[in-house]
Amino acid sequence: MATIRIAIPTEKGGLDDLVYDRLGRAPTFTIVEADLDTGEIKKVEVIKNPGAEAGSGAGVKAAQAIADAKATVYVGPNPGPNAYAALQYLGVKIFTITGVKVKDAVKNVIEELKS
Amino acid sequence: MTVVELVIASGKGGVGKSTISGSLAVLLAKKGLKLVAADADAEEPNLHIVLGIDRWDRVEEYYEGRIAYILQDKCTKCNICAEECPFGAVEVIDGNYKINEYICEGCLTCSLACPVKAIRYKFKVVAGHIMLAEKTRYGFPLISGESVPGRPNSGKLVTEIKNRAKALLGTEGVLLLDAAAGIGCQVISSLTGAQFALLVVEPTRASLSDLKRIHKLTKHFMIAPMIVINKFDINPEMVNDIEEYAKEENIPIIGKIPFDESVPKSINMRRPVVEAFPDSSASQELRRIADFVAEKVLSDWRSWYSRYRPKKPEPYIPVIVRPQKG
Repeated sequence: MATIRIAIPTEKGGLDDLVYDRLGRAPTFTIVEADLDTGEIKKVEVIKNPGAEAGSGAGVKAAQAIADAKATVYVGPNPGPNAYAALQYLGVKIFTITGVKVKDAVKNVIEELKS
Repeated sequence: MTVVELVIASGKGGVGKSTISGSLAVLLAKKGLKLVAADADAEEPNLHIVLGIDRWDRVEEYYEGRIAYILQDKCTKCNICAEECPFGAVEVIDGNYKINEYICEGCLTCSLACPVKAIRYKFKVVAGHIMLAEKTRYGFPLISGESVPGRPNSGKLVTEIKNRAKALLGTEGVLLLDAAAGIGCQVISSLTGAQFALLVVEPTRASLSDLKRIHKLTKHFMIAPMIVINKFDINPEMVNDIEEYAKEENIPIIGKIPFDESVPKSINMRRPVVEAFPDSSASQELRRIADFVAEKVLSDWRSWYSRYRPKKPEPYIPVIVRPQKG
């Protein structure tokens, strides 16, 4: 049974929050732990994004926070150049999606990962 | 409806971003579009000059970063902080150790090095201002920002400006963003989340080269670009090169503004050229561009977007030098 941890940029956080339209300066990340086989959501955590308060280098700080939260998958808007490089380096898979609720983004990405 | 973001960018500076932004904002607002203009060039804001604004309705302080200071009663004058500070910000004035606020980067080194813990930080450092004009004389609001010299070149300030503009717009309308020159932090912050980028280019080698760089960035962010060639008639050969590039990359050229002396005159009058000299050749072309943007791009923005946005994401990834395993 494989579980994955997915990081999604959000404003307040939680499954019903919308996916935030930027990564580096999103106020929070919602970390969703889910079962890859059944798609069942097991745990939801909300962490603060240190990038939100950063003057510069927001993307890299955000990527670091995602990796520190042990997330291996990122779902959200297109990361900026530095965040993109950092996420790749940290081995985090990147999926682009915006304008939907967190739970729908999670559902989508799990299907994507299975196929 | 949703909020549509149109960013005016160019890579190279001084090619006409703010002049075009000012006129375009006035023309689009006249068409009845709900619009907020934002100056996202906090280092050299000048959209308000083009629009003739000399009084702000609201000015907020913008805080960022931290600056160290030394508690004089704890300091033992051991000189360790002065030795360790990577920026040389510690100064001795009349025998007392002081931090030069203009040099301090807030990196924490001195406080880690200080043996008697005499170093504290102040966090409410004014790094800029955010200014709002609720109603310009052309009807729409303008939000602008300015950074304090020596404080970080800040994408966060641009984010704050954008957030305030979006709050003013609510659920629908057009956010017209006059971006800074370059492809740095501020510009990235301007582009994130935008649907359209109007790239201003002059027929010069330097401008075309910078256009290619900013275009790369729009590809990264999945933004649909369009080109306006400013002062196109001063160098027809380069216009060919720009057109060739645009064709290769599937970027529509939506306007060619002629060189027109009424443009600098209008800037000195602090009025957009389309208001100051409505019959000038530049104004006529700007009106054509505004018509095009309103009717072709914004009226059904989703179809225009899907037609001209990059077909697949093309991440613009900096080269990473991986640490060697020893």
